[in-house]
Amino acid sequence: MTMLRATIGAEWIKLWSTRTVWWALTAALVLMAAGAGQYALYANNGDIDENSAGEIAALGLSFAQLAFIALASIVMTGEYSAGTIRATLTWTPLRPRLLLAKSVVVAAVTLVAGTIVGFVGTLVAASILDDSSMGAAAPKMGLYLALLGVFAVGLGAALRGPVITLVVLLMLVVVVPPLLQVPDLAVLNTIADALPGVAGERFLNENSYAGLLIVTAWAAGAFLIGARVLDRRDA
Amino acid sequence: MVITLETLTKRYGATLAVDGLDLAVRPGLVTGFLGPNGAGKSTTLRMILGLDRPTSGRALIDGRPYSSYAWPLRKVGAVLEAKAAHPGRTGRNHLLAMARSNGIPAARVDEVLARAGLGGAARKRTGTYSLGMGQRLGIAGALLGDPPVLILDEPVNGLDPDGVRWIRGLMRELAAEGRTVLVSSHLLSEMQVTADHLIVIGNGRLLADAPLEQILAGHASLEDAYYTLTEGSALR
Repeated sequence: MTMLRATIGAEWIKLWSTRTVWWALTAALVLMAAGAGQYALYANNGDIDENSAGEIAALGLSFAQLAFIALASIVMTGEYSAGTIRATLTWTPLRPRLLLAKSVVVAAVTLVAGTIVGFVGTLVAASILDDSSMGAAAPKMGLYLALLGVFAVGLGAALRGPVITLVVLLMLVVVVPPLLQVPDLAVLNTIADALPGVAGERFLNENSYAGLLIVTAWAAGAFLIGARVLDRRDA
Repeated sequence: MVITLETLTKRYGATLAVDGLDLAVRPGLVTGFLGPNGAGKSTTLRMILGLDRPTSGRALIDGRPYSSYAWPLRKVGAVLEAKAAHPGRTGRNHLLAMARSNGIPAARVDEVLARAGLGGAARKRTGTYSLGMGQRLGIAGALLGDPPVLILDEPVNGLDPDGVRWIRGLMRELAAEGRTVLVSSHLLSEMQVTADHLIVIGNGRLLADAPLEQILAGHASLEDAYYTLTEGSALR
């Protein structure tokens, strides 16, 4: 436990001592404010079905989550692209502990920052919509982003390369689901529902705990595969 | 505190990178680790530090694998590559994270920064460092946990004459304090004036493990002795 705390402490210092984190969090905030604002205007004009501030913020999150995904994946893949992985593993030779510490740090940051960003999005949407019901949208977004963050860290450990990791993440979360949904075939829709992005939307918009469970399963699966690859392969 | 290799072997596909190394690196001496490019020096050092998994055999520090230590930086200080720090992080923050990871007090960071002569640059991002400053930061990191064992991979690469002299003095000092100092290098003339003991490998096999004087005996220089030893092992 003492050792895990030390590794978490080290990863915490590492996260906050480069500029990446600030760029990513600023980008998330800007994307959310702009996205939620734009969708709120559409809603006011009756162009879209969503009409509560929480739903509009969830639409904004489809942009803002890209910044969180990038931040979370770079926490692991950055070790390989910057060549620091060997040094890091001499500090912490027990590799699953390193991955756990990185996941804890990313989950904590994305939970808190995601909730704040979600709150800002809800606030922007509410002010445009004249909808004062804030609901529980913001903390749910934080929870979704924390799970997505753990997913990205684990995937980074399994794939190592920053570009391939980001491409796979974007495919699974953003690109593939709408492609599967276009033909509106039951089997393709079911596959789309099982992908983290769609499951997350279900959780945020429909309060679907099945959706939350699916995102959790992706996070846990990526963590386990990442830990195994990290442990097995030479650094 | 002894580094022991027990028939340490690493195979990559059909190639034997390290071929059954059996040896002990003893405290109180500077042990030079020599061999042509591709001889298996770096692979051996990585296996000692638990970064690469041996195909067979073991590498032990004081009788235990590196990865079995709760706070490994307090046992072994290592300089593996010239720049092991993220370019966007300051030297001081790099060392603070490193200290935190092994339960080393933060006050120790400023001590090693001073000892490595990096005080002024500590608050600059390491991406702005010269090769020599990067080496000094690496040395500062190796000293952080006040470890009884030091492993340095090519520590004088990129250093100016002052830097080379400084590293030489530091290694002598650390050995005189009773620490185990294992240093790999290509610079034979440098090893001739720094090392007490030499380990020479070629094609992953042990060619010599003897005191410097014994290896030098009958040769004009370490360079001559080295070429006699490694003859035929530079090319496969």
